[in-house]
Amino acid sequence: MNRALRRAAQIGALEFGFHIRRPLLIVLVLLLGFTTYGLTSGNVRISTGDQSVGGKRAYVTSEHSITLTLCVVNFLFYTFFVAVASGMSVPRDEDLKVGEILHSTGLRPHEYVWGKFAGILASFAVVVAVQVLWMMIVYHLLPYDNADKLRGPFALLSYFKPVLVIVGPQLVFLAGLTFLLGERTRRPILVFLLPVAMLLFSAFFLWSWAPPWLDPRINRLLMWIEPAGFRWLSETLLKVDRGVEYYNTRAVAYDAPFLLSRALFVLAGLGAVEWSARHFGRSVRGQVSARGRRRARRAVASPVSAAATDADGGFESGGRTLAALAMRRLPQGLVREAWTIARFELRNLASSPGLYLFIPLILLQAIQAGYFATGPWGTRLLVTPGLFTSLTFDTLTLTIVLLLLFYTVESFDREHATGLYPIYASTSTRTGAMLLGKAVANCAVAVVILLAAWLGGAIIQLAQHQASMDLRPFLIVWGLLLVPTFLLWSSFVMALMAVIRNRYGTYALALAALIVTGLLQSRDKMNWVWNWDLWSTIRWSDMGLLEPNGWPLVLNRVLALLGSVFWIALTVRLFARREFDATRILHRLAPARMLRSSLRLLPYALPIIALAILLGMQVSNGFQSRAAKHRDRDYWKQNLGTWREAPVPAIAHLELDVGLQPRRHAIHSTGTFTFVNIDAAPLRKIALTLATHIRDVKWKMAGADYTPENRTNLFVFTPALALAQGDSLAISFDYATKFPDGITRNGGGMMEFIEPSGAVLTGFAPVLAPVVGYLEAIGVEPKENQFEPRVYPDDYYKGMVKASFNTRTPFTTHIRLHGPKEYTYNSVGTLVDEHVEGDERHAEWVSDHPVALFNIVAGKWAVKRGTGTAIYYHPGHTYNIDEMSHALDAARRYYSEWFYPYPWNELKLSEFANLASYAQGFATDITFSEGIGFLTLSDPRARTAFMVTAHEAAHQWWGNLLVPGDAPGGDILSEGMAHFSTLMLDEQMNGLQGRTEFAKRIEERYGENRNVDAERPLVKIDGSKTGDTTVMYDKGGWVFWMLQNVMGRDHNLAGIQAFLKNRLANPDHALLQDFVEELRPFAPDSTAYDAFTKQWFFTVVVPEYEFQAVKKTQDGDHWTVTGTVKNQGTGTMPVEVAATRGERFEKQTPDQAKQGPAAVTKDYSEQRTTVTPAAGQSAEFKLECPFEPQLVVADPDAKVLQLRRKNALFRL
Amino acid sequence: MLEIRSLVKIYPGPVSALQGIDLDIPVGMFGLLGPNGAGKSTFMKILAGLLEPTSGTVTWDGEEVLSQPERIWSRLGYLPQDFGFYPHLSGEAMLEYLLRLKGIDAPQGLKCLTAELLERVNLTFAAKRKVKGYSGGMRQRLGIAQAIAGDPALLIVDEPTAGLDPEERLRFYRLLTELAQDRTVVLSTHIVEDVAVLCPRFAVIRNGRLVASMTPSEARGALRGTIFEGSVSDDELRQLRDAGQVTQAILVEGRSRVRIRALPGTVRPGFEAVAPTLEDVYMVLMQNAREQSTAAGGQAQ
Repeated sequence: MNRALRRAAQIGALEFGFHIRRPLLIVLVLLLGFTTYGLTSGNVRISTGDQSVGGKRAYVTSEHSITLTLCVVNFLFYTFFVAVASGMSVPRDEDLKVGEILHSTGLRPHEYVWGKFAGILASFAVVVAVQVLWMMIVYHLLPYDNADKLRGPFALLSYFKPVLVIVGPQLVFLAGLTFLLGERTRRPILVFLLPVAMLLFSAFFLWSWAPPWLDPRINRLLMWIEPAGFRWLSETLLKVDRGVEYYNTRAVAYDAPFLLSRALFVLAGLGAVEWSARHFGRSVRGQVSARGRRRARRAVASPVSAAATDADGGFESGGRTLAALAMRRLPQGLVREAWTIARFELRNLASSPGLYLFIPLILLQAIQAGYFATGPWGTRLLVTPGLFTSLTFDTLTLTIVLLLLFYTVESFDREHATGLYPIYASTSTRTGAMLLGKAVANCAVAVVILLAAWLGGAIIQLAQHQASMDLRPFLIVWGLLLVPTFLLWSSFVMALMAVIRNRYGTYALALAALIVTGLLQSRDKMNWVWNWDLWSTIRWSDMGLLEPNGWPLVLNRVLALLGSVFWIALTVRLFARREFDATRILHRLAPARMLRSSLRLLPYALPIIALAILLGMQVSNGFQSRAAKHRDRDYWKQNLGTWREAPVPAIAHLELDVGLQPRRHAIHSTGTFTFVNIDAAPLRKIALTLATHIRDVKWKMAGADYTPENRTNLFVFTPALALAQGDSLAISFDYATKFPDGITRNGGGMMEFIEPSGAVLTGFAPVLAPVVGYLEAIGVEPKENQFEPRVYPDDYYKGMVKASFNTRTPFTTHIRLHGPKEYTYNSVGTLVDEHVEGDERHAEWVSDHPVALFNIVAGKWAVKRGTGTAIYYHPGHTYNIDEMSHALDAARRYYSEWFYPYPWNELKLSEFANLASYAQGFATDITFSEGIGFLTLSDPRARTAFMVTAHEAAHQWWGNLLVPGDAPGGDILSEGMAHFSTLMLDEQMNGLQGRTEFAKRIEERYGENRNVDAERPLVKIDGSKTGDTTVMYDKGGWVFWMLQNVMGRDHNLAGIQAFLKNRLANPDHALLQDFVEELRPFAPDSTAYDAFTKQWFFTVVVPEYEFQAVKKTQDGDHWTVTGTVKNQGTGTMPVEVAATRGERFEKQTPDQAKQGPAAVTKDYSEQRTTVTPAAGQSAEFKLECPFEPQLVVADPDAKVLQLRRKNALFRL
Repeated sequence: MLEIRSLVKIYPGPVSALQGIDLDIPVGMFGLLGPNGAGKSTFMKILAGLLEPTSGTVTWDGEEVLSQPERIWSRLGYLPQDFGFYPHLSGEAMLEYLLRLKGIDAPQGLKCLTAELLERVNLTFAAKRKVKGYSGGMRQRLGIAQAIAGDPALLIVDEPTAGLDPEERLRFYRLLTELAQDRTVVLSTHIVEDVAVLCPRFAVIRNGRLVASMTPSEARGALRGTIFEGSVSDDELRQLRDAGQVTQAILVEGRSRVRIRALPGTVRPGFEAVAPTLEDVYMVLMQNAREQSTAAGGQAQ
């Protein structure tokens, strides 16, 4: 070994020895140890496999699983530790002042830098080795839950490969980058903040941001520049589920560009170290840069600096005594002193490069959270000021809290680090002023970020050209709700600094506090008393200010402010302006003195305790409290066995009178159900369910007072004589209650409510009126007592199938609503009377055609009327009204033509506050939350407002006229047919481009959300398994569309009309099998029909096309394109292949879009052929083009559902 | 007047840094002498209110200040032994900030005052320069500027001349003398000559104990007639050292010129009686203290 190498090795060994014994690394090893064991529960896992009992699971030991685990866990855990170890390496030596002695030896700067870096890297390599060894022991030897299902065979390569490809480059890159940062800037804050910024940027953007419209080339670029490697894994292997067999048995198939990018990360890390070495070499020898030399030359040339030098001698007074300066010390107030400190700190912050690096990153984060926010079905949201504040709330909280932590700790440590402390502490400035000044300055950073984020929000709004600027939401959400979090956190960090008096100790405890908070949040253990950062609690609605959590939010924020005062008091008391004496500390810790000290803090703690108790009591009395859960669980326990399968009568008529007091959340409901037994068997008992918090209900049966058996609010009525088939019975009810009954536990919204903004109540939930029979959803907790759904025989559809929604046959309704006159009251049917008496408005709704379900909705609205349609909307939400009205009109007209004439008088749609994001279509009365449709970002191409309206309007037919059966294959007739209807209406109104856009969107959702191993044929879908929703909606809609292509539009619609007519008032509710059977006679080619339905309805198939060996040859003015299409997926479908040139459709402005569908451009040319590659097979194609083609694309008109459509494209 | 009574400071270890100091420090310059590790800086830090003692009291003009150090801070000028400044700030900005923290003002305004103070310590030429580019001496002068600012009633300077060249040192002493006319200036140093030149009173501490507190004249008077000077060979010097007589020894033209403490009549030929210096006094005090602790150790054994 030559001398240079030996010296570098010596430095490396020293550095390695230092780190390997350092608590930092020991903490990392412990964290990794616990996490590894914790991960056997599957917290970081590939979302594949079947989670139901007996389902096939993904192994935790497969190469895919280990790669994912190492990729995520190591990036999350190592980043900060590597940054501290590597970034602080050179600054630490500077602090210890060992540099001059070290570099006066034969040691060269390069040897020093590379030696140090090698030492650091070696120490982390040891940690990785320990971690991987521990993983092997835990995964393969130790016992854990479901080990028999999750433990696969051992393969050393499964661990070795990800370490080499994923972890190694991560480490080298991070270590090199932070080393460079620390060496060049010598600023700890940059070193600490860089990993945080990288983590946030990766976790919130690079890992997850992949909107459907993202150009695949940009997507690939993002995969290559993401240091963790997670994006590549996700986009290439995990996002579209490949099935548990694939993940459990196959090796991770790295592609060459990705491997090259990993190599480049290594080179970038090493390059950063080399750069450090060169810079360090220059600085250690006192060399200056060319700019520095020029500056120095100018300074020497300057007559002033040449004359005034140090050699002039010191302490010249020019004959004047110090007294002549007339200096005086003036007593200053606390505020002035604090302002002096704050001003200085602010100046210091303003010159801190970290801020200019991290503020833009935070902004990017916030703007990304706002700009790319999606609502239901992945629709882009229109960013209103209120929505922006709530969408960015969590991001801003997390990032600013972390920034405050670092800036607070570093600003408190600055005097110690620079050696100014003895002078600083011996000044006459009050301790309180020192603390306050620094806190104010650091909080000002938060305010600056908020202002900048506000500017970001304004830019987004300008870019979207729609929502108007409004400062109120910013002041309320960020000012009143977010700022107390910052005050509380800053004061807490200051108190930690005061108690621990150590920078790293404070970081450790503060980060631990954040982790504990996050754990409590993720495990749903948080409530209003402890949720200091209001994580995931804020929902903004333009219609109702902070509903439904206004009151608990106020109490929570007051609690936060009182907490700040407490921590500040503690800090002032404990802040060590002078060094404590160790002996005296022991005396202070004596119980009596501790008690006395605690008593002094009691005035600050008492209001907190009192308020926490008050809030805690409200939480424990709330509708999500343990007591409420126990009531619901009792309902489940008492009634499941007896009443789940009990026969129920049909409703013949409902008389309902509802008084609403939105400000008090109160409802008074009186009414009468007329039941009729439609079954052959006599009906001896009738059970009705009311929400378990409702008390003091007055009942009547057949007009006489009656006391039913009360089984935890399942009320059982036993008529004197059993109801024979066709017999009817009237049961009346009268009760008053509040809804919601108390506050939420930890924020969030609710599906149904009575709030000052309005009311949404439906016949599904037993609050508006009793629900017939037993309700399976009450008292069932997913992780506690949820059971697997019933398995039905294949011919179950042939018998009598009950309805999905506890109803039997359509019934008539007469609903009277009354409440404050400023509200409008809507319900099912036709409005027969509306008048105002005093302060009350009365509305009377009568069903002009029987309905299957009923609801009421109240609000303060403006109205837009169309042709037999009306939209009731918040006056500020005019953005998409025209598009929605257009869709509603078109839906009413065309669905009537295609499926069945709309039987009711008017089709209306009412908006409700964003307390939940959903839409429901009751007969004549559709409800939309403001996040759906009204605040959807609808551009001419995506037309999302049109799409969601068309879908919900389709439920008038699919869900109301046809009520699906309560068994597998039932709900797909509601949701899948609604999507199919939307596809049809989209093509009718918006042309081919409109339909293909929507079809591609739902196809992509299906690809991303399906669960290969749990996916069942469409006839078996019951909504109980992971991935069922997308199969029901997206695949369902697609398959119905493909069926129409097989049958031909006219035949298909004729079949659908006959099917629907047959089911209108049929107590035997339809399943998909009924649909398939009843449409068959209308198929022009029954063999093709059978082949298609067998493939798509009764088995699980989905093709995936890929072009291979595509070539373009020119022959004169003709071009020939040849190649093969390989079907990597399953199923066999004829698929078109097109060679194209130019942009297909004209780009439309919003105004042009209103005029009609986009036309095909003049420059567009195409040539098509059709191939039918079977699963796993290839089919050759040849296209003769009279133009030079640019692109070959499979299925240009989106007629075949497929996976990874973006891959079924070849650029020539 | 600063009155220090039974001041004890024990660091964890335990290490006794101060073992019961009783001392009165009057208005004027007061020197604190002692070898390295004697406890001088600990003593100064306690006086400056930055270190809590284990026990003892400090009163200033009859007011107890240890429990409420802010009483001292409002009138204190303090130059610690080890200190630094914000490296990215200019000298001018740094000083101005410290003046603000001390609540100092002047009729000519803070900016002018800052400039004048910088001129006092000859840093005008580097006022705009970042402190990280200052030499050790410049940094020390900036420290002095902040310490003397605001007309402090109590000035505590711990090894203030470290890093200063001889000329600056003398000028600084002149400044200190000027300041000491109407206030208490506590000067900690291990350079005996500084105390001799500047301090009407001084104290010597060793191993956390007060060895002596007196005026330089008293100190010198106590040794009058017992200090002799002469030239000796290396062997003779070794013998004298073993006998514990040597107070000073320097090389002059290859031979050792020594000052010894001895009783008249016991001095070898060639030695002449000379006037004692404060350095002689200091060395004798140290020697005595060493002997006493050795004796105390022997008795304890």
